[in-house]
Amino acid sequence: MNDLQQQYRLEEVRKVFGRHQIALDGIDLNVQRGEKLALIGPSGAGKTTLFRLLNCTLRPTTGKLWLDDCDVESLHGKRLRAMRRQIGTIYQQHNLVQRLKVVHNVLAGQLGRWSTPRSLMSLAKPADLGLAHKALEQVGIADKIFERTDELSGGQQQRVAIARVLVQDPEVILADEPVSSVDPTLASTIVRLLIDISESTRKTLIVSLHSVDLALAYFPRVIGISHGSITFDLSPDKISEAMLEGLYAGNDREQPATEAVNEPASPIAYPSIS
Amino acid sequence: MNQPVPSLIHRSPKTLFPYLFTALFLLAFIDSWRRAGIEPMVLFAAKGRGNVWKFLSGMFPPDLSWNFLSLMFRPTLETIQISFLGTLIAVIIGFPLGLLGTHTLMVRGILNEAELQGVPVRRSLRYAIYFLARGVLSLFRSIPEFVWAFMFVRAVGLGPFPGVLAIGVAYGGMLGKVYSEIFEGVNDRPLEALQSLGANKLQIFFYGWFPQALPNFVSYTLYRWECAVRASAILGLVGAGGLGQQIEISMRMFNFNEVLTLLMILFLMVAGVDYLSARVRAML
Repeated sequence: MNDLQQQYRLEEVRKVFGRHQIALDGIDLNVQRGEKLALIGPSGAGKTTLFRLLNCTLRPTTGKLWLDDCDVESLHGKRLRAMRRQIGTIYQQHNLVQRLKVVHNVLAGQLGRWSTPRSLMSLAKPADLGLAHKALEQVGIADKIFERTDELSGGQQQRVAIARVLVQDPEVILADEPVSSVDPTLASTIVRLLIDISESTRKTLIVSLHSVDLALAYFPRVIGISHGSITFDLSPDKISEAMLEGLYAGNDREQPATEAVNEPASPIAYPSIS
Repeated sequence: MNQPVPSLIHRSPKTLFPYLFTALFLLAFIDSWRRAGIEPMVLFAAKGRGNVWKFLSGMFPPDLSWNFLSLMFRPTLETIQISFLGTLIAVIIGFPLGLLGTHTLMVRGILNEAELQGVPVRRSLRYAIYFLARGVLSLFRSIPEFVWAFMFVRAVGLGPFPGVLAIGVAYGGMLGKVYSEIFEGVNDRPLEALQSLGANKLQIFFYGWFPQALPNFVSYTLYRWECAVRASAILGLVGAGGLGQQIEISMRMFNFNEVLTLLMILFLMVAGVDYLSARVRAML
């Protein structure tokens, strides 16, 4: 009865931290399977919170979120983990375990499939070296496989994070500001890499970017978010300069990169982010 | 433009805190001094001085005769063994309880937000386990190892075994509490990422938590081992074997030169453990 092509359906989704911190204020969104879309908007607009809802890290305060036609509200324990396995997330600050070797960070993509004993044994002796090697080759840093992650540069670490998603092989790839900490040339390389992966494997791709140019250049659908609401949801050729100005009005557009650094790790502990 | 800012700070109730704290500190200091009967001059009074002199001069020269040293070999080894096994048991007790007593693993934070929202039964169960673990840890460490040893000597008889048990239980309580604090202090962003790709709690623990906590974990555990070497000397006084028992015997016989030798052995052991832990930490 439902459209099988539907990946995400959000209806009136609100997320409120504490009592008054409204991070998302009524989001309606439909995403088709295999679709590529970019989110843009000022810092503190609620993009990161939206990603945390999309990858089932947080739940909506009110409203409904369907993933693959499954109401996420009903998911707990094993079924919740099985759903999360279908969603790969690339974060702004890489979120790799710095003290582990690259190979373990990459193979962590398998954790949703591995049993706990198997994953433990893999820490002693990597369980699927070939898979890790192939993924790292695809992102161009196969030679770093046995290095400790904290010895890599920021751009290399972001590639490790992408390799982890390749190993995870999810249906959806979410990338929250994946290029805000690398230089502009590398930024477009990484965005292109993500788009290639999405196209070659027909994965849904949702990327938030603070570079409007990258969003307009590479994505067929661009969504503007500010103050926890969607202000436009259009193809790039229909987005006017005035719309962009309206989106960032009252915000300093040059600064969003600092948001990432200062943003608290957990909105639950520090409810003041929105 | 700067005008309103200072007035705001001035009105902030927080500014009272330093004064309040200073007043409380002074009060605590003066009252404790009086009630604890601190009289520094007594230390230097003629009678006290004589006794201290007798004790100290009796210590020199330390008894380094082969006869005595060879007799002390076994108790020394026993002390190391007591502290080693005791610390091992403490880790076995403290590690799982510390895990269950870790706030960010069990009940709050980004790793429990989705899982516990809207399921009050599961949430209360988690809180129950969490508080139980913290309670057991508090109980274990609030009873001094001396008292534990006393109880275990009654239970299993004299010798090193009650010493091992006493250190295991009392230090298990301390290790568990500190472990949970170490675990709570790690960067939770990598943990969030591991959760988001479908890992379960144990997998998140071993791939994200433990690697980050490892240096602190190892160094604190080794520090506790060092404490255990010292503690096993005290435990000897209640009959729990090791060097402590020898110190007690020598003191009772007024053989202060033997006491000094034993203290030197103790010092060497503590320094040895300290050196070992420095090497291990450098390797991590």
